[in-house]
Amino acid sequence: MESGKLGKREYMSIAILMIGAKATDSNPALLYSKVQNAAWMVPLLSAVIFFVGLFLLLKTMDLFQGKNLFSVIQQLLGRYIGFFLCLVIFLISSFGISFDSRTYTNIIRSFYFTTTPNLIIYAVLMVLGAYGAKKGIQNIGSVGYLVVFYVVLSLFFALIISTQDSTLQAIFPIWGPGKLEILKQSSLKITLYAEFFLLTMLIPNMTSIKEFRKSTWYAFAFVSFQISIAILIFICMFDTSLKGIGYPFHTSIGFLSLGLYLPNVEILFFVLWILAIFVRFAAFIYLNALMFGHLFKINDHKFLIPALTTIYLLIGSIPENAIEVSLVFKQAITNISGPTFFVISLLLWFVALVKGEFKHAKNRNGM
Amino acid sequence: MQKTETVCKWLMLIIMVCLLSGCWDREELEDKAYVIGLGIDSSKHKGNIKVTMLLANPEVGSVQGGGGSTEKPREIITFEANDFIAAKATANAIISRNISYELLKIIVVSEKYARDKEFITTIYDALKDKEIRLNSYLAVSREKASEYFIKNRPRMETRPHKYYQFMIEHGIQNGFIPDSTLLRFFRTMERGTDLFLAMYTTAVREKNPEYKKEDEYTAGQLNATGDLQDTQFMGSAVFRNGKMINKLTGEETRNVNILDDTTNIKDILLNFPNPFPGSEKQMSARMFKSGNNKVKMKLKGARPKIIIIIPLQLEIMSNPSMADFKVKKNQKILKERIKEDIRTLNEDLFKKTQTELKGVPYPLSVSARKYFGTIQEYKKFNWAKSYLKADIHVIPEIEIIDFGKQTKKPLKMGD
Amino acid sequence: MRKKISKLLVKSLNKESPEFKEQSNKEDIELKKHDISTQYEQNLETFKSIFSVPLNSDVKVREFTIRSLNRRAFIIFVGTMVDLEHIKESIMEKLLGNDQRSAKIQDIVSFPMEKTATNIGEITDLISGGVTALFVEGDSECYLFETTKLHGRSIEKSDNEVIVKGAKEAFNENLVENVALIRKKIKNENLIVESQNITKRSKNSVFLVYEKDLVNDELLQMIKDKLAALNTDKILDLSMLEQYLEERPRSLFPTILYTERPDRAASFIEEGHIVLLMSNSPSCLVLPTTFWAMMHSPEDHYLRTPYGNFIRLLRFFALFVAIFSSPFYIAITNYHVGMIPPDLLMAIAGSRERVPFPSIVEILMMETGFELIREAGLRVPSPIGPTIGIVGALILGQAAVQANIISPIVIIVIALSGLSSFIIIDGSMNFAIRLTRFLFVFSAGFFGIYGVMALFTIGLFYLVSLKSFGVPYFAPMTPHFTSSKDLLVRQIPLKEKFRPGYVKPKDMVKQRKG
Repeated sequence: MESGKLGKREYMSIAILMIGAKATDSNPALLYSKVQNAAWMVPLLSAVIFFVGLFLLLKTMDLFQGKNLFSVIQQLLGRYIGFFLCLVIFLISSFGISFDSRTYTNIIRSFYFTTTPNLIIYAVLMVLGAYGAKKGIQNIGSVGYLVVFYVVLSLFFALIISTQDSTLQAIFPIWGPGKLEILKQSSLKITLYAEFFLLTMLIPNMTSIKEFRKSTWYAFAFVSFQISIAILIFICMFDTSLKGIGYPFHTSIGFLSLGLYLPNVEILFFVLWILAIFVRFAAFIYLNALMFGHLFKINDHKFLIPALTTIYLLIGSIPENAIEVSLVFKQAITNISGPTFFVISLLLWFVALVKGEFKHAKNRNGM
Repeated sequence: MQKTETVCKWLMLIIMVCLLSGCWDREELEDKAYVIGLGIDSSKHKGNIKVTMLLANPEVGSVQGGGGSTEKPREIITFEANDFIAAKATANAIISRNISYELLKIIVVSEKYARDKEFITTIYDALKDKEIRLNSYLAVSREKASEYFIKNRPRMETRPHKYYQFMIEHGIQNGFIPDSTLLRFFRTMERGTDLFLAMYTTAVREKNPEYKKEDEYTAGQLNATGDLQDTQFMGSAVFRNGKMINKLTGEETRNVNILDDTTNIKDILLNFPNPFPGSEKQMSARMFKSGNNKVKMKLKGARPKIIIIIPLQLEIMSNPSMADFKVKKNQKILKERIKEDIRTLNEDLFKKTQTELKGVPYPLSVSARKYFGTIQEYKKFNWAKSYLKADIHVIPEIEIIDFGKQTKKPLKMGD
Repeated sequence: MRKKISKLLVKSLNKESPEFKEQSNKEDIELKKHDISTQYEQNLETFKSIFSVPLNSDVKVREFTIRSLNRRAFIIFVGTMVDLEHIKESIMEKLLGNDQRSAKIQDIVSFPMEKTATNIGEITDLISGGVTALFVEGDSECYLFETTKLHGRSIEKSDNEVIVKGAKEAFNENLVENVALIRKKIKNENLIVESQNITKRSKNSVFLVYEKDLVNDELLQMIKDKLAALNTDKILDLSMLEQYLEERPRSLFPTILYTERPDRAASFIEEGHIVLLMSNSPSCLVLPTTFWAMMHSPEDHYLRTPYGNFIRLLRFFALFVAIFSSPFYIAITNYHVGMIPPDLLMAIAGSRERVPFPSIVEILMMETGFELIREAGLRVPSPIGPTIGIVGALILGQAAVQANIISPIVIIVIALSGLSSFIIIDGSMNFAIRLTRFLFVFSAGFFGIYGVMALFTIGLFYLVSLKSFGVPYFAPMTPHFTSSKDLLVRQIPLKEKFRPGYVKPKDMVKQRKG
């Protein structure tokens, strides 16, 4: 174990916490509103679609051992186009984090702290994220690794006791609104996995790209499975009323009880959930600071974190209410980011192919 | 540098603390008055409802020592309000503490209001309130909900939440009342294909109820005497599109509960006619489901065909004719009899649902979904309509696992 | 504005050390650099002045003539630090009574340990340490005999780290005995006891104990450098040294293990750690240390695997109970009432109805009360010590409840958290837990469970970033290192094959086949 490097366990925990958390926010309901009871298939299908992009991206990245995403983009596409593309990625991810964090603030407020001003909850969330991000990715990873088991366990525990009140037959008719519609939505909803694209920024922090690739596939498989299972169980539990429920995970843990004598145990789940969210945003802010630092050649990107966090906090505070966040802002970001990242992955691979980078690499290896 | 950092850290901490010290949601728990039961009645004024709140007094029955309290265990208030959420504030004119729905166990709606079309809009407010959980129960009372709460004075449980907890829990286990949580209510509403059953209750006994067989009562009809209170939970109110349309008796409710795989009823005790000669008395048995029902449907064609197989296990508890079950024939007779009995019971029930209720009182439609590929096809099929003309067969799969003690006829004197 | 304030604060904190009117001791320092002379009188004069002999009553100088050599000589020693019997028998009697002509002091004296020195400063230091110095007329060297005999208690039972099964002896204030305690557990020639002087004035020295063929050289060098870099007059005790060595002295959490059990020290040495000993300190320091070492107890390994794991899990549970029971109580009763079972909720609400304070004040009052009782119980003279606990816990609690100052449930909560905090053996960790509990209580009061979890996450981030001599606090769990997986639960001893990877020992595998 080299010091200062991100271990594969830690990286996997970050990935699982960052993307797995999507099963607990508004995503399941969003998917349900589009494809009804076939929503559980979407994460699996879009995983397959996104896999192609990610696979090609990692293949391309393989040529540039130990370089991060932005270096690769700039090296392949030239300084100007590369810079522009990186800027686009950074902006998308910045808006993504702003509205994402706002969504989670809304969840906390509407389910657990109804009379507390939004800004306060939001500020605490972001300050924590900034503090974590300032500690660096190794430490974020370590915290992630310490909590990830309990978080995933509690999620599955919650899901398992949810099955008491659900009927499996709710997933029928199996194809929901039709196979074509599912496929269409799956390709649009690859944003679910967009963070994997951003995580390639961390390649230099790992010991080798091989390790990175392996851990990514493990995390990827696990996360897509997790999101799919979660949505499946929400569908079985709420059936058609899922479309009227904004955040099914929180509604369902509010309903759960452990026997008669521990009636409302949602706080136990909330505790672990919020831990995951803190880690998630710490990692997210760190990634964004890393991108910004790389973009404008600022070496010590840790000093950027407080400023960036404040900006995200301000952007996130723009929408007036939860409905605006989920319908206008987040919708836009989710529809843009996934496909954009996907196209960029393909583009990089294509350029590398045309430039003959793969052949060069082969020759190099052959010698 | 180190020191600067520390100072900055502490400053940040102090700032955070100052920011956080608002304590917005903080409220001491004794500052709250906990509503256990919520009653909803129609009001004379249009658009309004009459809200009744049953509040528990925490001091009674839970504190040992600390001076015996002479306070009453509960408080009931009824007043006019626009809805039951804003009513929390209004209630503070009477109640000294903040009203909280955190412990809300049961929402009782008077039958009159449940039959009103306004009811559905009122009850949907429950989704808006954060404190109301979807595992609260919905019940319908024959009289006004306000009267119901006043007349309902449990003898054994002083604390109201305990009373409702036990009453409902055991009622559901015995199958006489449906598991009518709000979650199920809203789920059924959203699905829009089935009827919803809410538990039926009353605190007023009918004056001269006619005699019926053991379980064919609805609440208030059971003629019990003694030193007791009059509240009864029995049977169910049938809701169609959020409006009450009919009632089911205890026995019918139990049948629905047996058919419904989504509720957990425990073993139930029941009577059935004695197939053996020699005694007028019915036989009694303990029955439980040994697995989920198997539902087979043939939905193509003009008349859909539905076959429901119910796996049941029985233990015979009484044997008034002293039939000898060592004889295989007797066993067969008994089995056939029970089978026939349950079959007719259920098929009659289905007939009633098709003709009288015009809908199935449990989520049977969910089992039909797997015969369709897409939602469009399923919608085109239109379950609600197709069900009415469906041909339904119930096949009970009976397994008698215990015939009870083999008793011989008691000897007559002089034999 | 904030900048200004922080600047001001920084200024006030970074004051240069003020000028003092001091007497110069340049001459003394200069003198100590010289060698002794061959002149008998001059030597006598020098040492008498260095030790201010007539004034300093326990420094003894005895002049006499060595008959066999027919030369004058004197011995000088600190009377309270030497074994007088020994001096009399093996030095004085031999020197005075020997008639045979002999040229060498070594042949006359029977005292076993003898060496020579010339530097005045060195000799002075040794004499202060209980060594007897013999100056002989005409010799350019001085003869030194290690006659040190210090008085202290004998080896006793461990008081602060009590275990039921396993060795009971503890370190005492006598360094020689402490080293012996370790040596008798590790009978290996590679066990090195290296001494290093760390202070200028009181000449305190530290003994580094490690196994030469295990310890990582970089780590050893780092610790040695750190010890050499200490620029201070005196460090009288190991517990003081601990504070000098720590990377973050202001941190709530300890990064060096302080233990009084030789068996623990030995087991750490066996795993490639370095142990520091100091004379006069009944304990040792183990470097580097992780969170796990703080939480473990030697008994975890002495008991059979299932029992050992049971008490270990119990201890981790106790850790959480100790930290979280009071904050959780506040968070739940003030923010998340719906979580409490209705019966319990009613009971709490009923009993709180007559209590005049908000529950956070209640908790803080009782927490403070508990800490008071605890501290008082420690300081009270032992005959009445036990009664304090009973008086405190029973009378105070009972009376407070009856007087409607505290609700009974709070007593349960506090008792539970207090009791649990005793299960954490390590003294420093214990303090850390007790102090963080207060922070958590505040955070729970301010923001319910959200605040508690926010603080917890900050704590996790902080702990994870802590390092003890380059070793992350939660190693080997995260970041991952090869180890015997002796973390939350331990393996059976046969499976514990590896030394912890984070100390990078020269030999990773404990038992190789064959």
